[in-house]
Amino acid sequence: MKLLLDIVQAVLLVALAPLVRGIVSRIKARIQNRQGASVWRPYSELRKLFAKEDLVPPTASFVFRLSPVLLFAVTVAAAAFIPVLHASALLGTMGDFILLAYLLAFGRFFLMLGAMDGGGAFGGMGASREALVSTLAEAPLLLALTAVAVVARIATLAGIVQWTLQQDFFRLSAVHALAVAALALVAIAETGRIPVDNPTTHLELTMIHESMVLEHSGPSLALIEWASAIKLNVMIALLIALFAPWGMATAFTAAGLAIAIAVYALKVAALAVVLAVVESSVAKLRMYMVPDFLGVACALSILAVVFTAVMR
Amino acid sequence: MGLVDIAAAKTLASSAVFIFITLLLLASAKRTRTCIVLFSMQGAVVTAQILATAYVHRSAEAYAIAFLVLVIKVLAIPYLLLRIVDRLNMPREVKASTTSAQSVFITAALILLSFLVVQPYVRAFNIDEDMLAAAIALVLTGCFLMVSRKKALMQVIGLLVLENGVFLAALTSTFGMPLVIEIGIFFDLLMGVFLMGLFVFRIRDTFDHLDVSKLRRLRG
Amino acid sequence: MIYGFNTFLLLLLVAPIVSLLCVKMKKARALSPIVLVVALLTGAATTGVSFWRGDRLSLDLSRLTPLPFALTVDRLSAFFLLLICAVSVPVVLYSASYIERHYEGLRRDGLWILLPAFIASMVLVVTASTGFAFLFGWELMTLLSAGLIMMEGDAGQRRHNIFIYLLMMHVGAAAVIGAFLLFLPHAPGLTFAAMRTVAAQMPQGMRTAIFLLAFLGFGTKAGIVPLHLWLPRAHPIAPSPVSALMSAVMLKTAVYAFVRFGFDFLGTGPAWWGYLVLAAGAVSGVLGVLYALAENDIKRLLAYSSVENIGIIFMAIGAAMVLRAYGAPSLAALALLAALLHAINHALFKSTLFLGAGSVSDATHTLNMEELGGLLNRMPVTGIAMLVACCSIIGLPLFNGFVGEWLAFRAFLGGSTLPPIAPAIVLPLVAGVLALIGGVAAACFAKLYGVVFLSRPRSEKAEHAREVPVLMQLGVALPAAACVLIGVFPAIVLWPLMTTISELMPGTAMPAQATSIATVLPWLALAVIAIVAVVALVRRTVRVTATWACGQPGLDARMQYSGTALSKPLRKVFSQVYRPDRAVNISPAGQPYFPETISYRSVRTTSFERALYRPAVDAVVAAAHRLRRLQTGNIQVYLLYLFLALVSLLLFMRFL
Repeated sequence: MKLLLDIVQAVLLVALAPLVRGIVSRIKARIQNRQGASVWRPYSELRKLFAKEDLVPPTASFVFRLSPVLLFAVTVAAAAFIPVLHASALLGTMGDFILLAYLLAFGRFFLMLGAMDGGGAFGGMGASREALVSTLAEAPLLLALTAVAVVARIATLAGIVQWTLQQDFFRLSAVHALAVAALALVAIAETGRIPVDNPTTHLELTMIHESMVLEHSGPSLALIEWASAIKLNVMIALLIALFAPWGMATAFTAAGLAIAIAVYALKVAALAVVLAVVESSVAKLRMYMVPDFLGVACALSILAVVFTAVMR
Repeated sequence: MGLVDIAAAKTLASSAVFIFITLLLLASAKRTRTCIVLFSMQGAVVTAQILATAYVHRSAEAYAIAFLVLVIKVLAIPYLLLRIVDRLNMPREVKASTTSAQSVFITAALILLSFLVVQPYVRAFNIDEDMLAAAIALVLTGCFLMVSRKKALMQVIGLLVLENGVFLAALTSTFGMPLVIEIGIFFDLLMGVFLMGLFVFRIRDTFDHLDVSKLRRLRG
Repeated sequence: MIYGFNTFLLLLLVAPIVSLLCVKMKKARALSPIVLVVALLTGAATTGVSFWRGDRLSLDLSRLTPLPFALTVDRLSAFFLLLICAVSVPVVLYSASYIERHYEGLRRDGLWILLPAFIASMVLVVTASTGFAFLFGWELMTLLSAGLIMMEGDAGQRRHNIFIYLLMMHVGAAAVIGAFLLFLPHAPGLTFAAMRTVAAQMPQGMRTAIFLLAFLGFGTKAGIVPLHLWLPRAHPIAPSPVSALMSAVMLKTAVYAFVRFGFDFLGTGPAWWGYLVLAAGAVSGVLGVLYALAENDIKRLLAYSSVENIGIIFMAIGAAMVLRAYGAPSLAALALLAALLHAINHALFKSTLFLGAGSVSDATHTLNMEELGGLLNRMPVTGIAMLVACCSIIGLPLFNGFVGEWLAFRAFLGGSTLPPIAPAIVLPLVAGVLALIGGVAAACFAKLYGVVFLSRPRSEKAEHAREVPVLMQLGVALPAAACVLIGVFPAIVLWPLMTTISELMPGTAMPAQATSIATVLPWLALAVIAIVAVVALVRRTVRVTATWACGQPGLDARMQYSGTALSKPLRKVFSQVYRPDRAVNISPAGQPYFPETISYRSVRTTSFERALYRPAVDAVVAAAHRLRRLQTGNIQVYLLYLFLALVSLLLFMRFL
């Protein structure tokens, strides 16, 4: 039963990732007084891309075709780390947050290699910018997670969630407040949302992720798009699991699970609204302002770690 | 234990954290308007804190002070400042001499410093550590904002943040000053903001900018 | 077992002689690599078996030498001996082909004579059990490596670099000798066993002095910032197999010696020793990887990356010392496990990378990244091995680098459980430093691999590159395979390592964290492979077609991002570290919009050299100038000196 639920929640994270993306863009459209596309639009896009043929430049090597597959595989593996409906996950009981962070880095590294293998100018440009963002996001990501893990005195995500579930929601500790702020900033940078990157842009001055995937097409592109949707979903699920897991099923009853699903859906919806509001009201940062943005995240996460020692 | 008791206890326990967050946000904010709104939010946190103290100690005087803080610091002063910003029609940036990441780092360091500083007093006088640290952090960050921001308006905000700190320190260490003195301080503060607002206009009219770092004539 | 060990040593000593004899006989030339490989395999087998059984091999030659000279192989020595043998085998196989292709006559013979001797000197360093034997091996190692570098040529700048190498090595050796001499009053024979017993009874000041001298001496050899100056100078100019050996193995002998001093001899010290090592490691890690990022010469990049990895190793050692000082032996064991594991890992992937760099220069005759590109299609085996090594060095999961870094992370995290506030703040924050290093390393090696092996070739040389001979392919493929093996099944090295550590720190057992990572990684590998397989099955048709060029006639290599361009954003963010000297010349002057020629020059100045070394060098030169006044050239003055020396000596003897 437990194993089944673990598998179900991992599959849900993967399968519903495009839907979350669709919901965010729909809310965004509404905020901007537009009708907006259907929330199922990302699925039809994936279907369309999967039906197309894969175009490969003559100068490219096997890395070009391997990179989307690897990116997808490790992102799906990362999804198996996050407790969603109950305080456990397929890999979340053995693997810890460090492994999760490094799995995401794995995918990013191969995405960068694939981009450079395309042979155009855009791939290199995207890789170079991605290197800037991801390098600076790495430290605050790990430090924020470290702070939470230190407070919970356990490093596996399932363990942290279990600990948090036993805490009082109102006993807000400074560590958690600082860590959630840092992690939210990092999540924006990691998933390539405004104000760090714009997922809908095609202007070479501003694009980071988009210019990396420019030479990919067909199923390869579909895998990359899906993987980035999963990554967004994973980040949302991570924020929920670490800072607001209340409502997760503690026993395997139908009612408990139904409540868990409903509460989780509400939390995702709330975060989607927040994301849409932020994306509609904030302007994209100039690229050399991004270090500043991540510097703030870094300061917050350092403070969070220091507070774990000061306030215990 | 009634619901209000719980709420009061939670407020007392968590308001320091919210004050730290407003401070960090103030340090990272890039626009004057954001800073003013943040200051107003900080005032709201302080109000909640006083209300909770008032409830716990059953002090009518403290309720009055909470009301005064709400009216003056959360509503009146931010409103005045926002109007000044509107009327001035100047660039929106705060023009800091440090980048926002550096500012946040410095503020974080100041918060830590205040924790280190208060520890002996907390042990000696049995005061709530977080709140006293928050008060010191407010004073220090207020000073830092005044030093590092070039716009005259930001100096006003820095001073107000500093005053918040002094007020909070008084509240936590002696459970508030006599009401008359409080009222006097608030009146002073309001007049101060008026005067500074006037000065800001004068500076703008005379020099056509608000950059304090360019006012160097007095050096002679 | 001791016979096996003796055979190994004998074969190792015979190998240079065989090479010497083969100078005249062309047909017998293949004999020297064969003897060497056989020797190394014997050594690996013997040490492996004795390690397994827990035997202590020893060999006492004190009767033959004026000072006590003995070799002992305990678990720690056996571990490093195994590392030397295991990594040297692929290097020797590679050299068998590489040296034949690149060197002739005296140089080739010289390399084949010095290479076995160099390996033997490293073996001597890690097995020595008396101060004299250790120092003998230590000096020999420096001189032989310098000799090997010299075989590549010693013209102009190269000689200057070799000189810096030797100079810094001797300053370091002086510190090492000092550390040993401080033991002398208490342990007259300088046998390690005696030093171990007396160290505990020595006064604290003396122990601190020994520690500082050892850190200085071994830190110089290991390339800790700011003592790293020789490393990016000496490694790039050596023949590739030699750079591989120097970076992968020789640096590890310094790690060995430091662990020997810090954990075996001195035992638990005050916490600030650990903090010092931790800070030095962190600074080396960050600066090393940042300098590596900015390099465009493959071997210089790799050399700086060695500084980074040594930094990570020292961070873990420092954490182990801190944790031990605060009385947390099991966490200290975890940190030391991370350090030793990262030492093996670095040896494996760095030897792959340096040998691969040798293959690249063999195929294209250049190591300048801006002239390379597209090599993966032209050299598939080398390319794949290099990809594996790049993934390993930046610590991606399922490759070996990750396991070491992960253990280090968990050790740092464990610091938060200590009651005092200082380590509970510092150690978790160090995890952030490690993450930053990992991030920059990923950018650095994405640049290296992307520019050198992917997309279009940037020059004719790269265009016509061909795969290298089989032996050279084997040389890069073997360690790369080991990287994957350890990355997926870390248990195979974790258990032996833990046995070593429990010998150093009695009472420590395998930390639970290490077991958990060893369990999860095979499952993770299985999951990833399964998903890749499923996705690969459903993939559709592939059509090869030119990259869209925005409607222009076509793309060429000049439109690709260059290595310099790739690292530009990060270099800009960290410009405080690089402090570049830039000059843009536009002619004719005063017409910025319609220039005839523009020249741009940008030189990075390593701030260390300016701030730290320049004053020291100036002071030495000034002192030398002052001393030169003594040298008048007049014979009578020299006689006066002799006379004065004699008189002062007599006075000294009389009144003392």
